[in-house]
Amino acid sequence: MAKLSNRFLFQLHGWFSLPVWIVFCFVCLTGTIAVISHEITWLTNTNARALNPDNLPEKKVTELIDTVESAYPTAKITTALSFEPYLVNAVIFTDSDKPYAIAYVNQYTGEIQEVNQGFTFINFMRALHGWLYFPWQNSYSVGYYLVCAMAIVMLGALITGLLVYKNFWRAFTQPKLRVNQGKKTFLADLHRLAGVWSVWFLLLMSLTGLWYLVQAIMWQNDIEIDPHPPIVAVNDLPSGSQIPQRAYSLQDALTITQQKFPDFKSRYVMPPEHYRDTYKFYGEGDFIFYDQYSYGVTVNPWNGEIMSTRSPDEMNVVQTLSHIANPLHYGTIGGIWTKIIWFIFGVFLTGMSITGFLMWGERTFKAAKRQQHLTETESVSVSNNTKSSVSV
Amino acid sequence: MARAKNNLWNRYKYKINGVVILLAGYFLYTTLFPQFPDTWAAKKVGQFEVTPMPYNLDAPYFHDGVYTKDFFLMFNEGDVNSIKQAYLTIGEKALPLETLAAEDHGILHGSEHGQEVHGLAPKELTSNHRVWLTIQTWQGEILLTSWPLPQSLLSNSY
Repeated sequence: MAKLSNRFLFQLHGWFSLPVWIVFCFVCLTGTIAVISHEITWLTNTNARALNPDNLPEKKVTELIDTVESAYPTAKITTALSFEPYLVNAVIFTDSDKPYAIAYVNQYTGEIQEVNQGFTFINFMRALHGWLYFPWQNSYSVGYYLVCAMAIVMLGALITGLLVYKNFWRAFTQPKLRVNQGKKTFLADLHRLAGVWSVWFLLLMSLTGLWYLVQAIMWQNDIEIDPHPPIVAVNDLPSGSQIPQRAYSLQDALTITQQKFPDFKSRYVMPPEHYRDTYKFYGEGDFIFYDQYSYGVTVNPWNGEIMSTRSPDEMNVVQTLSHIANPLHYGTIGGIWTKIIWFIFGVFLTGMSITGFLMWGERTFKAAKRQQHLTETESVSVSNNTKSSVSV
Repeated sequence: MARAKNNLWNRYKYKINGVVILLAGYFLYTTLFPQFPDTWAAKKVGQFEVTPMPYNLDAPYFHDGVYTKDFFLMFNEGDVNSIKQAYLTIGEKALPLETLAAEDHGILHGSEHGQEVHGLAPKELTSNHRVWLTIQTWQGEILLTSWPLPQSLLSNSY
């Protein structure tokens, strides 16, 4: 029974990962690059760097928005995003000659360093990794499901791998990588060693991946995770025949938000899109495992009232899962250092899908080729023997 | 145990999934060069002239508890800032402004460079339906106009 199940588990390990190995490998590789896509942008584009040689204090996001509005008087700001301290802020806008543009604004100097017309390496990598560019059918993408399904593959391969590799914990205490005993031995050692050391990472990626699958099903079935913020009642709008100015500015609304959450660090700002709309602020606080949008406040621009809030304290289980999944999956919990760790383990994971395939290749068609070669050699020698016997 | 034959299918069956990645390349191309349906005829309503365009020719989709069809609206004339609130719906008749204003479905949003709307729609579109645009200005005017549904949109709705 034990022998049978071991053989079965080994086959199962292969069945989990081999049939889809190219897509699996591609998803691992693109995810690995996506983790450090901001940093790659920093390295390759000097305009994306928020250099601060004079050690200036960081300007408020509302000031950065004002800067863009002054530089582009006909522009309409749709969103403002901030990232790591070494990267510029992104102020997204539409204009009469630009349907979608991103201003890279240095948050220390206030300088607009670039205006990008919308296509960025970061978004490219995220879309490629997240849904392989399969089109979104309003609330779902086949590609998103495909990528999420890799979580099942990964979890299956992990569990069967550990069950097949008895005493796998020895890889921690007595790591074994035999380089002089042939390709097969080297690949097997490398695959198992990387696998055991990546157990925590494989678990994290597959569990967060499974959560993304659940989230996708919820999206498609219109099950709301974070409720839509309410809009302003018509009766709260000013009366009169003139076009009114909003009584509370974006800066006022930011102040109201920071009064509500004193540790609030703004990450995402959305000005109103119509007169019944609110100011929306999403950001992070001091809960490190929650994502950068786990705090939120929407403010009524006409009377300064807080229309809705979001914070880890108020979240239900599903909301909590949705706000802790990204930092764990993206490795952003500890800034650049955790991103580097996630990147290294992403390389291991990508490598494991390749070494796994190579091991399978060695075992199957290379073995088949050797077999074929042997058979041919045998038949040639038999025919030579026959010939020689005839001649004799 | 039966040994698998070393034929083309057995050799490449596990790699055929790689075609998915080629599809990703094709979809990237379509993302970079999107094709939108034709715009509809411009209509004058009050001080405004509006040209609508559906984002696609698909049937309405279910979102936020209602069926929705997305449109892009170009305001060729008139200042969008003079709109207090505006709604787009699809149906046989226009809905009263009070009904529309009670919720946030179908409200126009965006800027003078383009307005967008997740228009409130029936589950299935028929030739009896029209697209209704209701605008209330800050002066208190209520403006109403409509467009018939083109065949290209109707044929995909069943």
